[in-house]
Amino acid sequence: MSHSLGCSRFAALTVAAVLIQLVGLSLFIFGFFPVKPALSGISGPESFRAPWDDAGENQSDLALTPHQIRRLYQDLSEIPSPFDQLILMVIDGLPAEFVLGKDQNPPRKAFLDAMPYTQSLLSSGVAIGFHAKAAPPTVTMPRLKAMVSGAIPGYLDVVYNFNTQALQDDNIIGQLFLAGQKILMFGDDTWLKLFPDFFARTDGVSSFFVRDTVEVDQNVSRHLGDELMRDDWDIMILHYLGLDHVGHIGGRDCFLMVPKLKEMDDVIERICNTIQMQDKDQGRTLLVIVSDHGMTNDGNHGGSSYEETDSLALFIGAKDQMHRLDGSQWITVDQVDIAPTLAALFNIPIPKNNVGILIQDALHFLSEEQMLRAMELNSWQLLRLLQAQLSWLKCINLEEELVVSKCHGSTENMFCCLYGNAAALHRSWKSKKMSMSNNRGDYNNAAAAYNEFLKAASQWLSRRVTDKPVGLLALGVTAMLLSCGVLLCLLFHLNKAVEGDAKLPGLENSPRSLGLATAFIVAATIGNVVSMISSSMVEEEQYNWHFLTSAHFLLLLRETLQALPAITGKVSNHNARAGYRVCCLLLLLISGRILRGWHQGGVNWTNLPDISKWLELRGNYYVKNTEIVALSMVMGLSLYALSVLWKRIKVVSAVMLSLLLPGILVLRHIIEYQDDTLTSSSNIATLSAQKIYYILIVISVVTVVASPWFILLKKKNSTCSMGWAKSVASEAIIKVSLHDTRDTLYMIGWALLLCWCLVQLLLQQPINSMPLSVLLFQVYLTMLYSHTEPPQKQWVEVATLYYLGMVGHYAMGNSNSLATIDVAGAFIGTSNYSTLYSGILMFINTYASPMLLILSILVHISVRNVHPTLQGNDWRQILMALLGFPCLVPLALNSVALTAYTIVLLLMQNHLFIWSVFSPKFLYVAAMTLCVDVGVFIIAITVVYVQTIVAYISFRAMSMGRQWQAMDGLQDKNVNVVHRT
Amino acid sequence: MVKEKVVVAGGTSKKARITGNDASAMGAILVHLMCALGLGIAVWVSQSVESVSLISDPVRTLCVISAIQCPTVILLFSLYRRNPQTCSYLRAVIRGALVLPVGALANALGAIALGAPVGTQYLWRTIWWSCMMSAFTFVPAGSVFGSSWCDWQRIFAYTKPVWFLDYMVCLPAHGAIVGAWFGAWPMPLDWERPWQDWPICVSYGAVLGYLLGMFACVGFISHHNRQQLYKVD
Repeated sequence: MSHSLGCSRFAALTVAAVLIQLVGLSLFIFGFFPVKPALSGISGPESFRAPWDDAGENQSDLALTPHQIRRLYQDLSEIPSPFDQLILMVIDGLPAEFVLGKDQNPPRKAFLDAMPYTQSLLSSGVAIGFHAKAAPPTVTMPRLKAMVSGAIPGYLDVVYNFNTQALQDDNIIGQLFLAGQKILMFGDDTWLKLFPDFFARTDGVSSFFVRDTVEVDQNVSRHLGDELMRDDWDIMILHYLGLDHVGHIGGRDCFLMVPKLKEMDDVIERICNTIQMQDKDQGRTLLVIVSDHGMTNDGNHGGSSYEETDSLALFIGAKDQMHRLDGSQWITVDQVDIAPTLAALFNIPIPKNNVGILIQDALHFLSEEQMLRAMELNSWQLLRLLQAQLSWLKCINLEEELVVSKCHGSTENMFCCLYGNAAALHRSWKSKKMSMSNNRGDYNNAAAAYNEFLKAASQWLSRRVTDKPVGLLALGVTAMLLSCGVLLCLLFHLNKAVEGDAKLPGLENSPRSLGLATAFIVAATIGNVVSMISSSMVEEEQYNWHFLTSAHFLLLLRETLQALPAITGKVSNHNARAGYRVCCLLLLLISGRILRGWHQGGVNWTNLPDISKWLELRGNYYVKNTEIVALSMVMGLSLYALSVLWKRIKVVSAVMLSLLLPGILVLRHIIEYQDDTLTSSSNIATLSAQKIYYILIVISVVTVVASPWFILLKKKNSTCSMGWAKSVASEAIIKVSLHDTRDTLYMIGWALLLCWCLVQLLLQQPINSMPLSVLLFQVYLTMLYSHTEPPQKQWVEVATLYYLGMVGHYAMGNSNSLATIDVAGAFIGTSNYSTLYSGILMFINTYASPMLLILSILVHISVRNVHPTLQGNDWRQILMALLGFPCLVPLALNSVALTAYTIVLLLMQNHLFIWSVFSPKFLYVAAMTLCVDVGVFIIAITVVYVQTIVAYISFRAMSMGRQWQAMDGLQDKNVNVVHRT
Repeated sequence: MVKEKVVVAGGTSKKARITGNDASAMGAILVHLMCALGLGIAVWVSQSVESVSLISDPVRTLCVISAIQCPTVILLFSLYRRNPQTCSYLRAVIRGALVLPVGALANALGAIALGAPVGTQYLWRTIWWSCMMSAFTFVPAGSVFGSSWCDWQRIFAYTKPVWFLDYMVCLPAHGAIVGAWFGAWPMPLDWERPWQDWPICVSYGAVLGYLLGMFACVGFISHHNRQQLYKVD
């Protein structure tokens, strides 16, 4: 053995590197995605005073009753509240395009016709609609938080989306509650989690049953009749989830979309009719219809495309209060602007961390004085926030300054100056008003000056990336670099150990595999990492992987062609083997191309035709049939692969039989429950899915734990065990037991692969089942390829598997945008909501293909001849020979990707697409790290376990054999003695 | 005079395996010059006569390029057929013409395997592009080597050119393939330029790689030639 590094040290270093990597990754994540808001606490009466006005700072408002607070706010704000009641209707996932149209064009005819009442309100000017631009990530909870707090929430909120916690930041719901308003909430229970104690009457519905589109909304609407008649409430929040669910089921063009829009229109009509009836005698009610985010054409959301961020804000007041605004449909505001607007309308302080600005077009009914006052309040709030972020921002002499000047200079001076101008103009307008000499022009000047300040401040605040702890980031990156370096060093070391001994006879005649294909893997890894600097390469990463993998296979094909005709002196079946390899490679190329054509992934070219769209267009029947074909392919292939072992290990038939059961159950589940929409959330389907999970878990655990012992069975049965044990040395025993280990690993590997595929067939969307089976076929082909002599470099083969995993990842419809995560799959077979289970299911669902290929490394280990130089007489050396490359290569490749991408993220932190493109990709890379670590851990633990057990059994057999030998020897002696005598 | 010396030098060093004509340095330069000229004429014809460019009408342009480049290559390289004693010029031309569709098919399949779009709207683009690629890559080999598997394997599987003729076939072909491979990289970018369409930038890459390959070949041969001359002297 030429490698000086011992097995234990090797393993210890690897584990240490992985741990360091994980620590570094978590440090970096916590450093890069800050979760804390800029200002703590909530706004009080002081928000109605200028930031530098200290008067009454000590005045405690704690002692005040809610009613007093309300009165106090009303007095301080100097704006008489125009409305008494607010109905906030949230329609989840409704793109503003459906109601307001896009680019000056009216909405599509079908959508126009679906919402006749709303459209009539809009055209008559009773309603004013805005495109409210939502910030990514476009998922419900962060968007709700943005709407009520006016702040842009931390990016990692998307992770907490399924684990909602009470909103701690200052927000308008909390403010309204403090002011003694009685709030009702019907709809998405995210609100209940955000505001646990604020609602007087509630009925939360869960967004848990994604396939239910009817019940969720009926559960909200059923309260309307009763509540609209009552007048003991001030605020009513309605959150309709159905439309989002429709989108998740069938996308924008789902046949359920038009009926759902009609239903929403009916609700709006019902509410408006009641409001107008009430208006005649008493209080006024404002109906605000908003959506939290839009949806892509496929009905997903999470990313930052126009379709996803285009959410709606619709203000419907009493007829005489809203002016007709021409072209208001095309005004774009920010979603965060809703918070200060509502705060101004209901006389509550603007939340502390708000970065939004008043939607002035929605406040047209305010008088000039009130309007300027509202803008002043908004400006003060933003100034406070600016001061918190720019600690040296001290706008001195603002009160005295009366001259309007041109603004330039540093950021601080700029803001001070802009605000100073606005304040000066406001004051001059006021003084002129006193003297009754003001005119419209003065007002316009003042309003424009305020606007300028507000826009500048808001933009600066929302764009500003919150301060990142540099130390934490540096530590994280250093740890990742360190771990990457260690892993690469170990890999080179191992490679050198193999290479160094490769000059031995027996390997001479293998073709020089240090060829183009090997160099290409290295170059491809580097090239792919480098290409991540470009945002569109991140968006379209799937093309890279497919391109590189296919090119790799083409190079392998070229390498195989070198050996195709038998040169004299070679064995006769050499040609056949090379031909075999050529066939494998051609099939790999063809299947790879099918995978590439299955989903037109990415961001920019999703509209191009692909196989999945074509199949879905053909109808559900075809999709389902495809799924059944895929299931039978998966079952057939893995059972066939297992049956190869039958000649040597009879027990494999038991494993095959036990695997048939979940296969049949999955088939039944597909046929019976995976139909559409309503039935699948039923209890029976859930139970059936759960049953399948349990069976699969039991089978895989039992197979892993029990199969090494099967060898014992085999040994007992075989009569020759004593024969061989008697005559051979321990080296030969090791060789034989290595054979056993590999057989066992082969069995375990295929059983695990099949179990994983069955889980995926249950969880994945039906359309993704075929790529899964094609992937399994590719696994089979690569196994055939690596089984054929002469062996390739092992690390190249493992790297190929890793590459195939990445290609498959994108072939199953994933991309680097959060929108493609299949949420529906995360809830299959869960009867009650649990963040942990759903998270695990979502992870399993998303990382189906990389995990499949990492699990296939077990089979790879079993089919590949162990490098002769790495075989030693020591069990530990054999373990290292078995596990060295299979564990190190995925870890190292992933570590390179992770480290490089982390550095890219740091470099790009001021890039325009940092939150929409680079950050989601980073989350994927981080999750991929988890996937690789878990996968490699499973491989390592399985191989170590199997090897240990087999070694134990062999040694026991050997010692028994020695006993037999001794006895035989005794007998021989006796015989000799007898003979002699 | 120069030619003789080279043949002698080659003959002494490479022994009797040279049955036919290896290219002379001048011949190689001339052949490549003619190939490049053919390409230039094709581009000129498409632009001034047909008034199309690769971007505005890739099908027509690639068609013109193939129509001019294929005969040029076949006719030129048939002059340098490996075994002129047994193989007439006409036969070399015919086998070059036969290799054209086969090579086109191989190129098209390779491109599709690497992700070229399949679909009726891309059919003619792919066909003419692969014809052009075939003229760059396999047609010269077909004309020169015929069906000799050993030579094909040496050139394309091992990339181990020995004679000047090998270099003349091998380097431009590899240049075209590698150039096309690199040319495909900008395709997924979201720049929304017309040239990102299949197979425009791939063709640019291929042509560039082809020219570079020819240039390298000429450079290599003249360098090598000078060395041989010195040795002989």
